[in-house]
Amino acid sequence: MKKFNLENIPKTTSGFIVPDNYFEDFSNKVLSQLPDETNRVIPLYKQKSKLLMAVAAILVIGLFIPIFNQLSKPAEELDLTTLENHLSYQTNINQYDLISELDEDDLNKLGATIQLKDDIIEEHLSTNSDIERLLSE
Amino acid sequence: MQEEKEFIQELLDPKTQNEAFQKLLHTYQKPLYFHIRNIVLNHDDTDDVLQNTFIKIFQNLKNFKGDSKLYSWMYRIATNESLTFIKQKAKKNNTSTEEINAKIIDNLQSDVFFDGNEIQLKLQKAIALLPTKQQLVFKMKYFEELKYEEIATILDTSVGALKASYHHAVKKIEAYVTSN
Repeated sequence: MKKFNLENIPKTTSGFIVPDNYFEDFSNKVLSQLPDETNRVIPLYKQKSKLLMAVAAILVIGLFIPIFNQLSKPAEELDLTTLENHLSYQTNINQYDLISELDEDDLNKLGATIQLKDDIIEEHLSTNSDIERLLSE
Repeated sequence: MQEEKEFIQELLDPKTQNEAFQKLLHTYQKPLYFHIRNIVLNHDDTDDVLQNTFIKIFQNLKNFKGDSKLYSWMYRIATNESLTFIKQKAKKNNTSTEEINAKIIDNLQSDVFFDGNEIQLKLQKAIALLPTKQQLVFKMKYFEELKYEEIATILDTSVGALKASYHHAVKKIEAYVTSN
């Protein structure tokens, strides 16, 4: 068998070829893909998608504003009548429990609003059958 | 060298960038195409890798320190992109890079973008059997006609090692063609 020698044959190419006009079109293809604002061509759908995302974000934030407001509003103060009615009829609190909650300050305030006259006290005590028990207490 | 520095400045300056890059593309698209094609073998894959290579070149121009010549730096990027591409392709197909290349070479006759004769086809088959480094060296020296010094800079190796690789590659190719 005759030994093949690379130097004895005419210099050959790889045999690879390119499609017609490939290099003419290639430059434009690359230039349109360059990641630089001055050269890059941003497809319209990409620009639109950014706008859509911004609109969607604004809508979501807008929808949540009333909910946030509702959540952040402080609880309404109970009016005194409702509280009194509740304490009187809906709980097991009796007058002794209420008395135990009163301090010196509260008693002074109560004393200031109640005008007790001696004859009224006397009348009350005379009609009260438990006068002796009260005196002993 | 001074000219190259000025050219790099033009590539980095937004005012001259577009024109300079077109010039770069015009000068290097063809040699880099065939460099990549010799590694990945198929036209469509070469087109993808060549685009990625130029985009990478553009993105990294600001980091180019000028330690080597611009063309050898670009060839290095093209080589790395090509080798990475084949590895990824092999991984995706759950096979080896050698098998991927062997398959392409086996189908080379039906490739519309290959018009080689019998010798060229045998040569491609013989090259595909070489280790990656020897394949690279042989293709760059024989097909692309680069100088040993240029190949040494691109592949970051010594001229002596390259000469030895090329010599081994030629011997193996001749042995294959003789017996096939």
